[in-house]
Amino acid sequence: MSEKNQTPNQNPQTKRPKKKGPIRTEAVIPFVLVTAIMWVYFSLFFDSHLKAGFEWIGYQVVGAEVNIAKVETSFFKGTFRLQGLEVTNSEKPTHNLINIGDIRFGVLWDGLLRARIIVEEMAVEQIEIGSPRKRPGKVKPPEPPKPKSTEPSAVEKEAMKLKEQAIEKAKKDYSKNVLGDIAALMGGTSGDDQIKNIESSLPSKAKLREFEVEFKSKQKIWDDKIKSLPQGKEISQLGDRLSKVKTKDFKSPQELADSLNQINTILKEADDKFKQIQGTVTEVNNDLKTLENQLKEIDALVKKDIKDLESRFRLPKLDAQSLAMGLFHQYLDPYLGQINKYKGMAEKYVPPNLMKKDKNPPTEIKPHPREKGVTYEFGRPNSYPLFWIKKISASSKSNSSVNSADMKGLITNITSNQALIGKPTVLKFEGSFPGLEVRDILADFTIDNTKDDSQIGFNFNIGSYAMNGREVVNSPDVTIAFKKATASLKSRGDIVGLEKLNLKLTNQVQKMEYNISAKDKTIDEILKEVFAGVPTLSIDAEGGGYLPNDLSLSINSNIGPELQKGFEKQIQKKLDEAKAKLNAAINEAIGKEKTKIEGDFNKIKAQIDGEIKKVNDQINAEKSKAEAKANQAKKDSDDQANREKKKLEEQAKKALGKEGEKAVEDLKKKLGL
Amino acid sequence: MTLILKQIFAFFKLLNSDTGLNQLASGIACGLILGFAPILSLQALLVIIVAFFFRIQLGAAFLSAFFFKFIAFILDPLCDQIGRSILESPSLRPLFVSMYNMPLVPLTRFNNSIVMGSGILSLILVIPAFLLFRSLIIKYRETVVARFKGTKAWKAFAATGFYKWYATYSKLYG
Repeated sequence: MSEKNQTPNQNPQTKRPKKKGPIRTEAVIPFVLVTAIMWVYFSLFFDSHLKAGFEWIGYQVVGAEVNIAKVETSFFKGTFRLQGLEVTNSEKPTHNLINIGDIRFGVLWDGLLRARIIVEEMAVEQIEIGSPRKRPGKVKPPEPPKPKSTEPSAVEKEAMKLKEQAIEKAKKDYSKNVLGDIAALMGGTSGDDQIKNIESSLPSKAKLREFEVEFKSKQKIWDDKIKSLPQGKEISQLGDRLSKVKTKDFKSPQELADSLNQINTILKEADDKFKQIQGTVTEVNNDLKTLENQLKEIDALVKKDIKDLESRFRLPKLDAQSLAMGLFHQYLDPYLGQINKYKGMAEKYVPPNLMKKDKNPPTEIKPHPREKGVTYEFGRPNSYPLFWIKKISASSKSNSSVNSADMKGLITNITSNQALIGKPTVLKFEGSFPGLEVRDILADFTIDNTKDDSQIGFNFNIGSYAMNGREVVNSPDVTIAFKKATASLKSRGDIVGLEKLNLKLTNQVQKMEYNISAKDKTIDEILKEVFAGVPTLSIDAEGGGYLPNDLSLSINSNIGPELQKGFEKQIQKKLDEAKAKLNAAINEAIGKEKTKIEGDFNKIKAQIDGEIKKVNDQINAEKSKAEAKANQAKKDSDDQANREKKKLEEQAKKALGKEGEKAVEDLKKKLGL
Repeated sequence: MTLILKQIFAFFKLLNSDTGLNQLASGIACGLILGFAPILSLQALLVIIVAFFFRIQLGAAFLSAFFFKFIAFILDPLCDQIGRSILESPSLRPLFVSMYNMPLVPLTRFNNSIVMGSGILSLILVIPAFLLFRSLIIKYRETVVARFKGTKAWKAFAATGFYKWYATYSKLYG
């Protein structure tokens, strides 16, 4: 049945509907109408609706009124422009939290038609912080407290935890309040009373006990092994058996063969015993080697214990770098805490292949691998990557607010494929915070993935900033703070392959006025004198290593050598005395015991070596005897056989006589010989 | 939504009528391409435009697209393999490089293995599917619809005033 056919009950008189063509002409008018309505909407209303939408979302998100002066979009030009963004400060509604004069960007249709997002230029200009509003902004009433929602998010909690851990670690590592320690040493309160009680807590002592127990158990095993070795009697029995074996005057080859068999049996037995001795020697030697290594470990532990105790009893180091490290760690702790926080987060969240974490992470349920397929990029040099913002410029200007800044920044080439465009992402900004007296900030960050190993480099400099009231050291014994000072900062660093970090920081402080006070009068005088004699204080930090854990940081300062000179005379003698006391305490705690165990060990070792050597020599002697005897038997047998052969030949010659000789001569002639 | 529902009702009406055989079969064939292609892609848009401006039954297209989506999902592993072998073919690489950097063509997302595989598969299947569904509809009308219309129950229903009223309404307003 075809569509042209008619059903049998159809009336032929009825008017047949007009046959419709393949094109749906009736769809043209609705299509044109819908297009026209959309055109009108996007031309007249879309921008204002978008503006209202942004303001509403902003109010819900920020919790305070957000105003936008104007939003302009153009479909054909592919541009977006937002002017006069004002975000009310919910704490202070008469002022803005931030005010951005102009945000604009445009995407290239050339790129969009190729399914790429290419932004020629994005500008964020006239940023102002804390500027006054024309009228106070509306603030969203606080929502009733929800116990769960008021808690920080899981990521925030994690970040806080990592930060606390990092600060705690930094405090633990660098809690050396060097000046306090010097004061304590000078006051003679460096823990004399505690030295007597150190014995129980020494790791070297515990290790020595462990060694003793193991040594005793091994000693028993060695005794058993030596007892199970062939004894002198057994070996001499072998000698006796050997001496009874006949080695000459054999009457028949069978007799010779029997003798040789007996000697071989004895030799085999001797060889088995030799192997048993060798096996025991190897085992015992391995044990001895392990124990010797443990003794070396104990020596290393003793040295470590001495160092730990020096640290525990706060014996300060009087070299310039240690003084600088001790002095300025408190000053640099907040920065180190911040670095450690991000280092911890990087370790947790950066993919394992980049950070070389555990190569075999736990198996997880993964989504269907073919759900998205594989997307190939068929780029060629100088073609568009999937995403590329060529330029972002940002600027801000200062106002009456303390936190406002005169800044100018430029970010170039943010892209999904740097190798394709052959350009790195570069961020540069410069400016000042006049209200905070921070001037000449110059920052330059480069992220370069165009090479085999990605390189992130940065330079961050501050021309000058005020350090009024900044504390350097604050401990019960000593306080050092900058009453007034101007500093400059230069830092640069790089991370290669997201792993290898290099960091250098130079901090110069000038025009200083100090607040220095110390409980100890001498220290107070020395500190005031030393700090007054340094017109420019420099603090240099240099660090590097492999992320996330293998990092080191050293701090140097020109004040270090000055302090060293200042304190050396005063406390060097006391320091030596304290160190000697610690050494003596350690020696008393484990020295005797260690010497005794070492003596016992050496004695047992010599004894075992002697026993084994004795048995070994004995068995070797018997083996040599057996071998010599076997050789002798073979030789005797050969000699006897030769003699018998000769005798038989002579007898045959005699029996044949002259006739025989003649017959032989004839035969030779016939043969022509 | 109303438009889509209207089209789906029209599909069932047309299926059980004696007309629109090619409209239905081409609608199902378009639905096959739509089902195998990603929703947000140039080829899907083109098929929708073609279905809209040509007399192709939209209800059939949408309904079959819905069912072919499931089939496409089941065939994903196969399409992935086909797509990979085509996209990784060294001889076709210069062609793909030019296509990738042409305007509009990248909007088809041809550079994805599943999209490429399912696109090729749908192009291979579209004409056989058109012919197959055409013959199936004919068969359906000859057996199921004709037999149903021959039943006493249908004849009794067709003789009622309500049916006559509906037939007149349908003739006047479609």
